[in-house]
Amino acid sequence: MGTDVYSNDGIEQINMSDIRFSEDTIWHRWCENAEKSPDSVAIVHWKAGETPFCWTWGELMRTAQLYSAALTSRGINRGDVCAIIARHNCLLYPVYMGCVCAGAIPAILAYQNPRLHPDKFREGLEGMGKRSGLDWILTERALEGVLQPLLGTGRSTIKGLQFPFENNDYVEGVETQVPNGTVPTIRDSDPLLLQHSSGTTGLQKPVLLSHHAVLDHVTQYAKFLAVSKADKIVSWLPLYHDMGLIAAFHMPLALGIPTIQIDPFEWVLAPSLLLEAMSLERATMTWLPNFAFSMMADKIHEEDLDGVALDSCRMIISCSEPVRSRDQEKFFRRFAPRGFKREALSSCYAMAETTFAVTQTPPGREPATLTIDPQELAKGRAIPVAAPGVGKVCVSSGELIPACRIRIVDGDFNDVGEGRVGEVLIKTPWMFDGYRNYPEKTAAAILDGWYLSGDYGFQCGSEFYIIGRKKDVVIVAGNNIYPEDVEAALNDLNGVIPGRVVAFGEEDVELGSERISVVVETPLTDESQRRQLRMAIVKAGMGIDVSITDVYLVQPRFLVKSSAGKPSRTANKERVLRMKESSMTLQPEGIQDDLRRVKNSDSECAEA
Amino acid sequence: MISDELKTVILSALKLDDWEFTDSTVAAEVPGWDSLSHMNVVVAVEKHFGLRFRSAEVLRLMNVGDLQRLVNAKLAKPQ
Repeated sequence: MGTDVYSNDGIEQINMSDIRFSEDTIWHRWCENAEKSPDSVAIVHWKAGETPFCWTWGELMRTAQLYSAALTSRGINRGDVCAIIARHNCLLYPVYMGCVCAGAIPAILAYQNPRLHPDKFREGLEGMGKRSGLDWILTERALEGVLQPLLGTGRSTIKGLQFPFENNDYVEGVETQVPNGTVPTIRDSDPLLLQHSSGTTGLQKPVLLSHHAVLDHVTQYAKFLAVSKADKIVSWLPLYHDMGLIAAFHMPLALGIPTIQIDPFEWVLAPSLLLEAMSLERATMTWLPNFAFSMMADKIHEEDLDGVALDSCRMIISCSEPVRSRDQEKFFRRFAPRGFKREALSSCYAMAETTFAVTQTPPGREPATLTIDPQELAKGRAIPVAAPGVGKVCVSSGELIPACRIRIVDGDFNDVGEGRVGEVLIKTPWMFDGYRNYPEKTAAAILDGWYLSGDYGFQCGSEFYIIGRKKDVVIVAGNNIYPEDVEAALNDLNGVIPGRVVAFGEEDVELGSERISVVVETPLTDESQRRQLRMAIVKAGMGIDVSITDVYLVQPRFLVKSSAGKPSRTANKERVLRMKESSMTLQPEGIQDDLRRVKNSDSECAEA
Repeated sequence: MISDELKTVILSALKLDDWEFTDSTVAAEVPGWDSLSHMNVVVAVEKHFGLRFRSAEVLRLMNVGDLQRLVNAKLAKPQ
């Protein structure tokens, strides 16, 4: 890897494979950065217990060139979609960039979760491939056995597997080519990358983004954030997530500032790694989903913070799930003694369909908050309460990034006006052109050039507050889970009355996020059989990579139906939560045991 | 061998009725034991046994047997 293989000749050795790039493309920007500062650090690849691996711009681009040539020599053509499935690996970056250089379209996908059955993993890729048109999978040998059955079945678009991460054989003997006058030129409107809106199984929606969309967005976003050459971005976020890919990878690379990349799997086991890396590298910015604020404030031992100073941090931006005031406050109080500044707290509203950010807290101040009357809020009015401490605290997701526009509308798409809750519609210069090969989803998501976010929010002055989702999607630690996927996975279990399952998200204060709960009608009354059913339900969740935290087994005909005749998620969630909070003596037969069990579990955890 | 005491703590943290743990049991095999709940398990074990695990120690845990050995080693030493 790195210096022992790739020559350290001058940057003038960088060629453009057999493709030209116009000046307003991402690749061209990377080349400019490498030419200006070949010895500057581009990426620090961080691994716990190891010396961090530093990619300088010169070495990174030379290696990306080699990979580009190797990919091309192995049949990867311009426009091919290359799924990249690999664990935290320092070669991931040049392989990704090599795809861009070859004119291919990289799409970083999540690595196989060991809890997920290989068949389900393959089904997910197959389903994804139908829309995304995956041509190649660039992966590790460890997944060869799992992925090989995808080939030659006639059901998949995938042409082959390639293994660029194993050793240097992949690039040995490969020569880069000098472009000649007849080769095609890649322009800013050409596709750069494919990212997937989050979701379970193979139902993720593929979002194709052009060079122009990504480059213009990160340029504008960085301007709003007042990013300078003094900034360093540190991140544990997976690169298959828009927050990790755009904010913590593409933005620093486009601006020529260093990014420090931590293994997401290591971070979740040892959250202190982010703060350790931030302190040692003197990093200035990071993006996190809300649960990470809570987790770091609650779970990190002081012993793991020996020598850690957070005074270099100027922005820690909460994004990808609802921003909770208490978690931001908890984080500040915990880490203020280590130099963390209150004004470094920040928030942002972003999504893959708009490349990334739409609104953002301006630098230098914490997010605005409003304490709203919850009863008025239920009626769609954001009315501040007169007396503090009795309302719902809403945290602003910030102000519009220049050139972005938002409308808050009612069900008839009429603007509702300031202080009124409605659906958030977005228009930006760097919006996606539609879901790839998914015209029906595209048609449902875009109206007269406005993206229908499916989020509910309101505006107060220049600030935007996002307060909920139109759809029933549950956001668990920044990942979107669709209840219908969970319900479908449970429907056929023995002991479950088909069609009589409801999944929803329950607020998890300790986690700072939501957790998945299910209400399941069953005729079973024997406690031993009910225990087995609970276990089967949790295992079925594992089968689709969803952790079902609370299982409520209820008697037949318990679930409330919607007007469409299906069990209503909202009504049943409210019913169950109401029953949990109220006296157990009022509960209908069937749910008592499960509610009692939940209460007992909660009290056990609290006492432990 | 996994002690009944450790098993009870893990089951409680994961809200499970029962599960057969061996030294080689890995988190991915156990219903509900995912990367997010892993921290809850670790914290529950720390609280129950009155121990503190360093991040580096947590990162080295490959299976439940490793967790049992870490608990045993810590209990054998004055904290």
